[in-house]
Amino acid sequence: MLKFILKRLGLALLVALTVSFISFTLLFLSGDPAASLAGESATDQDVAAIRELYGFDRPMLVQYSSWLMDALRGDFGESYYFKLPVASLLAERLQVTMLLGLCGISFALLTAVPLGVLAAIRPNSIIDRFALFLSVAGQALPSFWFGLILIVAFSIKLQWLPASGTATWKHFIMPTVVLGYYAMPAIMRLTRGGMLEVLSSDYIRTARAKGASEGRVMFKHALRNAIIPVVSLAAVQMGFMLGGSIVVESIFALHGAGYLAWESISRNDLPTVQALILVFSMFYIVFTFLADVLNAWLDPRMRTG
Amino acid sequence: MTLNVLKSTAAVLAMTVAGAAYADKASDTLKVAFTKELENVDSYFNSSREGVVLQRAVWDGLIYRDPETNEYMGNLATEWTWIDDVTLELKLRDDVTFHNGEAFNADDVVYTVNFVADEQNGAKTQRNVNWMKSAEKVDDYTVRIILKEPFPAAIEFLSGPVSMYPDEYYAEAGPTGMGLKPVGTGPYKVIEVTPGQHFVLEKYEGYHDSPKGQPTIGKIDIRTIPDVNTQLAEMFNGELDLIWQVPADQAEKMSELDQFNVLNESTMRIGYLTLDAAGRTGADNPFTKQKVRQAVAHAIDSQTLVDALLKGESKVVKSACFPSQFGCEQDVMTYDYDPEKAKALLAEAGYPDGFTTGFYAYRDRDYAEAIANFMNAVGIKTEFNMLQYSALRELRASEGTPVSFQTWGSYSINDTSAITSQFFKFGDLDDARDPEVRDALAIADSSTDPAVRTENYSKALKRIAEQAYWVPMFSYNTNYVFNNDVSYTPTPDEVLRFTTMTWN
Amino acid sequence: MTMTNLDQTVDPLLQEIVGPTPGQRLRGRVFGHMGLLIGVGVLGVLLFIAIFAPLLAPHDPYAQALMSRMKPPVFLGGTWEHPLGTDHLGRDYLSRLIYGARVSLMIGVIAATISGVIGTAMGVAAGYFGGRVDTVVTFLINVRLAMPVVLVALAVVAVMGGSLQVVIVVLGLLLWDRFAVVMRASTLQVRRRDYVTAARAIGASTPRIIWSEIMPNIANNLIVVVTLEMAHAILLEAVLSFLGLGVQPPTPSWGLMVSEGKNMMLFEPWLVMIPGAVLFVLVLAINLMGDGLRDVTAPEDRS
Repeated sequence: MLKFILKRLGLALLVALTVSFISFTLLFLSGDPAASLAGESATDQDVAAIRELYGFDRPMLVQYSSWLMDALRGDFGESYYFKLPVASLLAERLQVTMLLGLCGISFALLTAVPLGVLAAIRPNSIIDRFALFLSVAGQALPSFWFGLILIVAFSIKLQWLPASGTATWKHFIMPTVVLGYYAMPAIMRLTRGGMLEVLSSDYIRTARAKGASEGRVMFKHALRNAIIPVVSLAAVQMGFMLGGSIVVESIFALHGAGYLAWESISRNDLPTVQALILVFSMFYIVFTFLADVLNAWLDPRMRTG
Repeated sequence: MTLNVLKSTAAVLAMTVAGAAYADKASDTLKVAFTKELENVDSYFNSSREGVVLQRAVWDGLIYRDPETNEYMGNLATEWTWIDDVTLELKLRDDVTFHNGEAFNADDVVYTVNFVADEQNGAKTQRNVNWMKSAEKVDDYTVRIILKEPFPAAIEFLSGPVSMYPDEYYAEAGPTGMGLKPVGTGPYKVIEVTPGQHFVLEKYEGYHDSPKGQPTIGKIDIRTIPDVNTQLAEMFNGELDLIWQVPADQAEKMSELDQFNVLNESTMRIGYLTLDAAGRTGADNPFTKQKVRQAVAHAIDSQTLVDALLKGESKVVKSACFPSQFGCEQDVMTYDYDPEKAKALLAEAGYPDGFTTGFYAYRDRDYAEAIANFMNAVGIKTEFNMLQYSALRELRASEGTPVSFQTWGSYSINDTSAITSQFFKFGDLDDARDPEVRDALAIADSSTDPAVRTENYSKALKRIAEQAYWVPMFSYNTNYVFNNDVSYTPTPDEVLRFTTMTWN
Repeated sequence: MTMTNLDQTVDPLLQEIVGPTPGQRLRGRVFGHMGLLIGVGVLGVLLFIAIFAPLLAPHDPYAQALMSRMKPPVFLGGTWEHPLGTDHLGRDYLSRLIYGARVSLMIGVIAATISGVIGTAMGVAAGYFGGRVDTVVTFLINVRLAMPVVLVALAVVAVMGGSLQVVIVVLGLLLWDRFAVVMRASTLQVRRRDYVTAARAIGASTPRIIWSEIMPNIANNLIVVVTLEMAHAILLEAVLSFLGLGVQPPTPSWGLMVSEGKNMMLFEPWLVMIPGAVLFVLVLAINLMGDGLRDVTAPEDRS
């Protein structure tokens, strides 16, 4: 088990390193950051002065290695735009994104798991079909469009919910739904599939034969087994979700890391964009790592891979 | 991280229990939205309109220009005299205190000027400060500002972007500290800053007797909301009281509703096309031919752009400057909207079937799209490229663009040197490279005789129009939308003045 | 080292593609056909519209009329001159929607083809050769999965400048992961079959085995992933365009239409509703078709 964890950890680190290199290279090619640093009303001299000040003329590998060394110490440089350490900017903005991510995944789990269980208990029933339709339709619904519709309906027409900001729990309702619904289909399908499989297993038949109540069979035996892969899926989906929060944060004006990413891209704020790509990747890497370890711990067959 | 998340969850719940603070007249809090994230509240270290708004609220300049009469009045200074061409002596007020209790005196002026004038300190918009060499203290309430060379606009800049900082505090906090905890002498003090997102200002009770007037509204709560629709939605449900820079269509709809006031003011910004007359994108580029450039000018229906898209106080612009600017000659060659004539000119120039060209823009996508469609209609097919400002600037500086939709606001400076001379004197962004234009502008810029200046600007602008180096199209405007509780009269310089806002 | 659980944790859809359970198969037989029929039907109609756009569109989708902007559709009090109204530049909305079908389908098909070629090549190579090839491919898949797609696509498009070609290529180069995962797993299954062993025994060349023995037997899975990725690419294009970094005007893309209509969303919601709804229907149809295909083509000989 320890050997598995170490190997898996090594892989995770290698992936992180590669991602950091790719994102650095991509952004390195994005042209002269001096012009964007100087701002819209700057003169040519302003731009030239800034180019010199930041030393954008060094070779790429030199810039990458010095950036990486600093990043390892938690120093992502200074935002070109805010003139503040990127690390402190991230620490602040990630709170909103993490909170949103947790709300989103909780929403997805709390709706998708019961739906999946119900669908599995009565295959081909109305509930099953409804759940299946929801899962197909959910994946076809453009999130930005969904968000806009919610704003029109609940903020403008009904005036029940605020359209932007993070001041109260009410502000989080619509963003949570928009972010969470996208993870629902996958979680529901897996819950349903897992339940069907467990329910048809000898183990459950035995439990039933022994006279255990239906509720007990469902929750004590079946769900407990079916939920394990769901937990690791949820971890992975959470990684995806955080990366996808750009759209949600921009629609609802949540000043989280996703919104910061979008704005930083348009501002050519390289240190911030690089750090954000790395951080979002790290979320995914950490969550998959945890999911893999969890799986291996629960199912020893996985460890040999 | 988890701990932080828990903390913020708790904070969110706590706020809910406490009940949200609602924006209204009753709580004496005006809720305002910014569109762009402000990078740093320190006014020398940002270059955005939002920054100017805060600068005018939090700090004061030595001099003040009345936005209505354009008359210069004393603010932190009471009087000023030119000792010689490059030395300005100012007498200061002795009754001013900074928000942190520090008394204002000559030391503050000397420190501020010497700090920002030093290029090493990296003030963002060098143009605002690089005309000053240094400042000297004469006595506690008298200072001299030394210029690098004679600079006629010195008073204009001292009443605009140059504001005074407390020396002891600024020396300790620096631009970053000042950005997080700003301290000034202005009508409002900053009580909360979340960088880029949220700013809360509070009326400064000890504000001196300034020409800006005394603030009346108790608190100003500013949030950054990037999306106009979200801003409007928050106006509807009462979470915002005032927004500005609202696009024409939305402003028009808002004005139809009883609960909102919509006011429109013109700005000095103009929109124009710049054509690659110098052949920087290739010597055989069609735009090197005068007839092709004139065809473009005939192809675009500026009047319809103004009537249908920009609306409000916008006007059609014919000359390569804003009409009110000193030296902005209006009697230049003009081009009527005439697609047939445009096609004929293209045929004469050797393009009977038109041609394909790259079209570049960086803002106002819908205007740019309409303009490109006008060109398509006479046979000039456009490859539409919407770039970030910085990317387009770099492209134009390095290899040029065939056609680019540009805008320029002249820093609200009412002089042709702030626009035409910026682009036609063989700089990186000069697409014409015409020595005749350059020479005329050089004479006009360096002369102190208004007659000589007028004559030479006129010469340059007539040449530009006749050659159709630029196709000037329209001037911009700004819409202010606020609810009926608020009373405000906007000014043409596109700066929100909280001091002149009152509750109804 | 390989990540054996790659295909399970990432997406349960993949697990279903690779090996559905008997229960799922049963459900598939019932629901799949209906979904498949609806999906294929709707997609067929949209394809027809896209191909015959010039004949079907009542107006030139590029002709602007600035003085008749944002005229409402006929069901909101407009006239039959513009059945679905006009956009922010006075262009006929119905005509732009009709031409927009071309753009969305083109983005879906080409991006899915590019990513399909890349992903299939990688997946088949990994599954067939195993060993180091597999290690490298699995590693690349992991790297790709770790990169936040929307963020990276936005950054790249911002650098390159948005255009239809750039968006298609960027999406094509980013969306190959699912192809690689599924093709790898499918190839692993097929590789051990008798006919592959037999072909190898009679001395058939590797390219020949892959082409005539492996590919035909994993083609059904490939088709399913193609549909999923088409839908994925179409949605992502819409997201990029919505954020202002996608297809550029005057191209009539549905995603761009939502983005352009968004400005007036509060007052003229139909500007956003109509293209958004059409986009939803298209993606739904493709997903239904993909789901149906997966259920119908699942080979009987698998356990």
